[in-house]
Amino acid sequence: MQHKKTTALLLALPWIVTLLLFWLYPIIYSFVVGFTDRQLLSKTWQWVGFDNYIALLSDESFLTALKNTSIFVLGTIPVTTIVALLLALLVNKQFKGRGLFRAGYFLPSITSMVVVALIFTNLFQRGGYIALLAEMLGFTPPQHGFLLDSSTALYSIMAMDIWMAVGYYMLIFLAGLKSIPQELYEAAKIQGAGQVRQFFSITLPLLKPVALFILVINSIKSFQVFVEIFVMTQGKFETSTMVYFIYESGLTTKFNFGYASAAAYILFLIVAVFSFLQFRLLKNRGTV
Amino acid sequence: MKKILLTFALILLQSQLLSAKTTISWWQFWTDPTIKPVIEEMVEEFEKQNSDIAVELTDLTWANGHEKIVIAFASGNGPDIVELGSDWIAEFAVNGHLSEIKVDDAAQQEFHGWEMATFQSKVYAKPWFLGTRVIFGNRDLLNKAGYAETFAPISLGQFKEAVYKVDSLSKKIYGFGSNAPEKHRSYKKYLPFSWSFDAQIFSDDNRLCLLASDYAVKALNYYKELHDSCGYVANQRGIEDAFLDGKVGFVLSGDWLLKRIENEKLDFNLMSTLIPGDKYPGRSFMGGEFLAINSASKQKEAAQKFIDFITSPENQVKFCQANRSANPSSKTATEDEYFKSNTHLQTFIKQLKIANHPPVDPNWVVYESFIEKAVEDALFNGVEPGTALLKARKKIEAAR
Repeated sequence: MQHKKTTALLLALPWIVTLLLFWLYPIIYSFVVGFTDRQLLSKTWQWVGFDNYIALLSDESFLTALKNTSIFVLGTIPVTTIVALLLALLVNKQFKGRGLFRAGYFLPSITSMVVVALIFTNLFQRGGYIALLAEMLGFTPPQHGFLLDSSTALYSIMAMDIWMAVGYYMLIFLAGLKSIPQELYEAAKIQGAGQVRQFFSITLPLLKPVALFILVINSIKSFQVFVEIFVMTQGKFETSTMVYFIYESGLTTKFNFGYASAAAYILFLIVAVFSFLQFRLLKNRGTV
Repeated sequence: MKKILLTFALILLQSQLLSAKTTISWWQFWTDPTIKPVIEEMVEEFEKQNSDIAVELTDLTWANGHEKIVIAFASGNGPDIVELGSDWIAEFAVNGHLSEIKVDDAAQQEFHGWEMATFQSKVYAKPWFLGTRVIFGNRDLLNKAGYAETFAPISLGQFKEAVYKVDSLSKKIYGFGSNAPEKHRSYKKYLPFSWSFDAQIFSDDNRLCLLASDYAVKALNYYKELHDSCGYVANQRGIEDAFLDGKVGFVLSGDWLLKRIENEKLDFNLMSTLIPGDKYPGRSFMGGEFLAINSASKQKEAAQKFIDFITSPENQVKFCQANRSANPSSKTATEDEYFKSNTHLQTFIKQLKIANHPPVDPNWVVYESFIEKAVEDALFNGVEPGTALLKARKKIEAAR
């Protein structure tokens, strides 16, 4: 028995070591550092209590990042979820070339974010295809390009993000749709329920666990938006987000680890509360 | 068995003694195929002249080199010698990561740029080569706008007029290349105008921040007018692309543009001139590349020897020729025929004498981000220039 335990421990050791070194230690370390004035190049640092947290709450850059992140989360999640569901319903139907559409919608989500961001940077620029399209539709595109204008930059990135993410969530919805027993639809049909009624009375309630999963995963991902901001605008034109702010404070300029760690814990708290509320909201409706 | 072990140990010891070379590590940023072989050649030559020293070369990139250096120094794994931008020296010096460099009178006389490496009266790095920005113009567009072949704008008024005239040539032609906000770059475009309007960042005694003075506001209004009325807005690379494409009349740029024109074999009718100013010429931005020794290095003597070798006038000329750099730090090197024979390089040499550098302050990177935000707000976010500068001044004052 002892031998078996040792073997099990040895087998689990690589994972345990990885967890301790690269997960647990940084989590505890950054939590502690958040209460200090630690700067990377400085050889000394002091305990400052909640000073970093207090300073953050009156830091204009942090508040802007918080505002932008909120816009990003609240703007992308509903649209992504609804579009993904609609696409899933569409490609769940039998038609010629269905596989091609499924693959086509899914393709962006397996493409590197950096590559997509670079392509879209070109598309969004002055005289780019999106500007031409806007002109064709009768809109006046921003003078210097969509990403060089504070009123359009963040929304342009959000649009790209939605385009990129819907395929992935479509696939999850599709898996959810496949798990709904066909007998339910047959029974509903016999009782005279139309397609709309079937959708609201069968499909949607049974998809709620999947929707909750998508909402939580997508929220966490959206709160952590970074790569697209880094590649496309470097936080300029009112596009700085929470993670970009953390990167800027902790890994560039002053390398202020203490300040950045405090900001990271505020983000953690927001994500935790947001996820908890999502769970409670859908659980209370008796779906999970 | 013992004999075998003993023999083996002796062989090992002998090979160790034979290869007892001092190895120094050098982190540098020059990876371009036109310059890297020259760097390697210099290292080889140094090793030939100093058979007891080996140099280990590591390349950095401008995209994340600064971060790599910071992390290496913070973890105690910094190189013996590191190339630093002039803005970074104080940041490393204040935390005791750099070794002080003793500068004798001869070196003081021979090299430009010591003031950028001097923090709290101590010198922490040796100037390698310097850099400044000048005005480049498209001579063909200027001719089309009715200017004579010899025209160069001297005053700020003349410059603005020329920008407008070029801009009015066609809807597809812009008068001025205006930078989109870019970290570590945007402020270098605004400050020359600010200095040329006699504005200062700090007072002479360094006690007051003067960023929102009337002069500075006037300068930002001027810059904003060029941007709003005639600006081709893009990042630095985009502006230069458009300029070389014949779409932009004037750009503020560095000597790398000369290298690009030469490398790409462009047939371009280029005009270069000093920054215009009301008391001609205006003041430009000055920066540079410096070589510093890690305070934790155990090979300081060898490191200093290597730095002296690399920054020698002959090697600076070699480097500048390969990189088309216009401003070696060595005064002897500046006298070389290579620089004298090229009018555009001469513009840079003249401009460097009328250029300011940002204050040597460990917090400069923070202050520059505030200035960049002010310029961004004024140019792109509809904030009135005076308000934007005042906000930046308050932030700087709070951070000091």
